[in-house]
Amino acid sequence: MATDLFDIAAEKLEGSTEMDRLAARGTLRIAIKEAGLDPHKLTIPQLRAVFEKLMPKELDARGVSDAAAKCEATMDEIARSADAIDIASSASPDDVFKRLGGS
Amino acid sequence: MEENAYLTSIFASVFYLVASVRLLRLNRRTGERPELLLGIYFGFSGAYYLVFNLPSLFGFDSWPPATEWMIEWIYVLGVFPYLFFIRSVFRPKAAWAGALVGICSVLLLVGTALGTLNGGDVYSLDNLWFHVQWTGYTAPCAWLGLEAMLSRRGARKRTRLGLCEPIVANRYLLLALFGGFQFLACLADLLLAADADGGQAVSMISDALLGGSEIASVAVLWLAFFPPRFYSDWITRRAVILPTPMDG
Repeated sequence: MATDLFDIAAEKLEGSTEMDRLAARGTLRIAIKEAGLDPHKLTIPQLRAVFEKLMPKELDARGVSDAAAKCEATMDEIARSADAIDIASSASPDDVFKRLGGS
Repeated sequence: MEENAYLTSIFASVFYLVASVRLLRLNRRTGERPELLLGIYFGFSGAYYLVFNLPSLFGFDSWPPATEWMIEWIYVLGVFPYLFFIRSVFRPKAAWAGALVGICSVLLLVGTALGTLNGGDVYSLDNLWFHVQWTGYTAPCAWLGLEAMLSRRGARKRTRLGLCEPIVANRYLLLALFGGFQFLACLADLLLAADADGGQAVSMISDALLGGSEIASVAVLWLAFFPPRFYSDWITRRAVILPTPMDG
């Protein structure tokens, strides 16, 4: 199910830029790795952070014009499309390690 | 020197028991498995160190080998939940992780069961079952250290994006250090076994290694499970969070 979110994001990225499917998926995968995230366990807030803070630079480097605006629009589309899928993940190691310290 | 090592082990055992109570109480509140598994592990570890070091504490002769092997079961029973904790937190779906849990479990069971049946000194390089059991309880320490260190790399990246609290990313490092220090304590067991075979020269090194690694383990667990305010604030202040969008 989390893979669906990656697929949705790559598809929307492909649609909003001039990149082909392979380039869109590859660029997204690079940004997700740079963010320290697992593409198979993505959540909407995580993806939003990637699209806000890392993806504009990645798209810029690939010659995509108006990268920041496109990232914002793409993320809005992803959030709408992802509404129907189950992306909840409450058992991540971060959650466990947060609880262990009592925080 | 040797007495200092025993004292640090007893100090560590008391701390592990306190940590166990803290984690089990957390489990009662959350109902989540990881804290239950880790709480059981620390409970058994604390009990083991305490019982093992009772002779030194009260000044009577060491436990006879048959009793020592029975005491080993206390520790071994705690390693199973420790293994399940590592797997369930870091590699819940990886087949190889399940296999590693199985291999370590078999080594622990076979080493301790046959060691108990055959008798002989627990810590002796001549005892095959000591080696089997040692491998079973040392591998999880190294495994935790590596997994927590790998997770820390990702957590630091997430911290820069505001997706992971700095203190949580730091907690990965602390648990990685704990795994590393426990691995060193296991190496001290090897030296202790060499010493039991007559190599007196290594006694001081093994005691220092054991005592030092236990003190260091307690220190990092204290920061991980009972983080003082000044420490949390310091870690949070040091964290770097990227603005939006990312500058070149």
